[in-house]
Amino acid sequence: MTIENTDTTTVSPERAARIKTVVCEILEIGEDEVTETSLFIEDHEADSLRAIEILASLEKEFGVVIDQAELPRMVNLRGVHQVTAESAGW
Amino acid sequence: MAQRVVLTGLGVVSSIGFGPEEFAAGLRAGRSGARPISVFDTTGFEYANGCEVVGFDPAEWLRVTDPADLGRASQFSVAAARMAVRDAGLDERQLADKRGLVSVGTTDGEAVDLEALLETSLNRGSAAMDGQVARRAPATMLSLAIARELGLSNVSAYTIATACSAGNYALGDGFDAVRSGEVDFALCGGADAMCRKTFAGFYRLGTIAPDCCRPFDADRQGILTGEGAGLLVLESLDSARARGARIYAEVLGYGLNCDAYHQVAPNQESIERCMRLALADAGVKPHEVDLISAHGTGTQANDVTETRAIRGLYGDRPPRTISVKSMLGHTMGAASALGAIACALAITHGFIPPTINHRSSDPECEIDCVPNVSVEADLRVVQNNGLAFGGNNASVILGKYSEKEFAS
Repeated sequence: MTIENTDTTTVSPERAARIKTVVCEILEIGEDEVTETSLFIEDHEADSLRAIEILASLEKEFGVVIDQAELPRMVNLRGVHQVTAESAGW
Repeated sequence: MAQRVVLTGLGVVSSIGFGPEEFAAGLRAGRSGARPISVFDTTGFEYANGCEVVGFDPAEWLRVTDPADLGRASQFSVAAARMAVRDAGLDERQLADKRGLVSVGTTDGEAVDLEALLETSLNRGSAAMDGQVARRAPATMLSLAIARELGLSNVSAYTIATACSAGNYALGDGFDAVRSGEVDFALCGGADAMCRKTFAGFYRLGTIAPDCCRPFDADRQGILTGEGAGLLVLESLDSARARGARIYAEVLGYGLNCDAYHQVAPNQESIERCMRLALADAGVKPHEVDLISAHGTGTQANDVTETRAIRGLYGDRPPRTISVKSMLGHTMGAASALGAIACALAITHGFIPPTINHRSSDPECEIDCVPNVSVEADLRVVQNNGLAFGGNNASVILGKYSEKEFAS
């Protein structure tokens, strides 16, 4: 099963769970509070610094490099899945 | 009665020159201090230009202190202090027992040494840390080392850690102490040495420019980190007159505030309030200001916010607004001290330093930044801005000295 599917990339449930853990730790919220489409800034009180922290933590978690130009797409979990998968070449 | 306060000595360690003469020549020529960073390992960064101080030999400036007992920022600080005292024509022996204030602003203190200690403790355990490096690491050394080296036995010496506006905070501090008659002289300014931590932090925020710093430009991409020190001698007008000292400029006033609005985002209204406080303290009206030396970092956020705040205060025809960071990079705690020195030199020599690296003006930044080439100008009142993370804002107002006290 895959929970995210774009033209070229997929995120396995195991990776999706790791991504969610990273994101929720930074946003300081419970994993049940965030959905695929809830917005980090509008719904979870994040700001641009938190967004950078998410990006940096995902780089560490998965040993990948994510271009900061992708930040505008990383507004929710779905966007983060896509960008991380593309950057990692999953 | 409040004393009038004047600047009589300037000390400069910068990427575009040492001492006031070389610095003034660099400012007038629009010299750039940008070059590939060599002071730390930049492996892993796609680009790494900065404005390093090259060719600095602390032994030229230290007579008492062993250079190895000081971190790089303290070396800069002490060198600039000795230059400033010498430039003021003061005899260090006569200064020794005078009541004074030594106030030095900084962002990183001796972070270079702290980084080295941390690296040692990670790689080889904390027992392997070098005691000499640990002793020079405290940020208080930036001011204490000046008192120690110059043998100043009757001074308060402290280091102010309000980061990128700290130089202006220190100047305000010295101004108050001299104005009130609390001290006979003040040695104030700021110092910082380039470090990996701050470079990496700004890099991660996406605010380091790949090539050079172009403030107020439509295509600006951020700062270049820089380093150096600027120290100024402040004394009362009476004292300066009594000893026939050259007067670069008069300190007319300053303002500072802290809005705590956001860790890194500047707040337009609060910057405007800070500038108003400075003008009120100086007894100056907006139309009397001839030049603003802006904080002007070259980031998207700063330049648009700062110029809007300037227009908020000055209206549709603000004074010419330049950024010396285009030449010096962002020298952090030294930035507003070097900015103030640039202002004093601009007043003294009758020119406006340019904002270099300028290609196309950002329509969002509606000011005349004096692009690329300095211009001649008779400057009567100049404002120097320093804005720091956390909303620590500070503006200093300098005026051309004339016998008659400035009055609106």
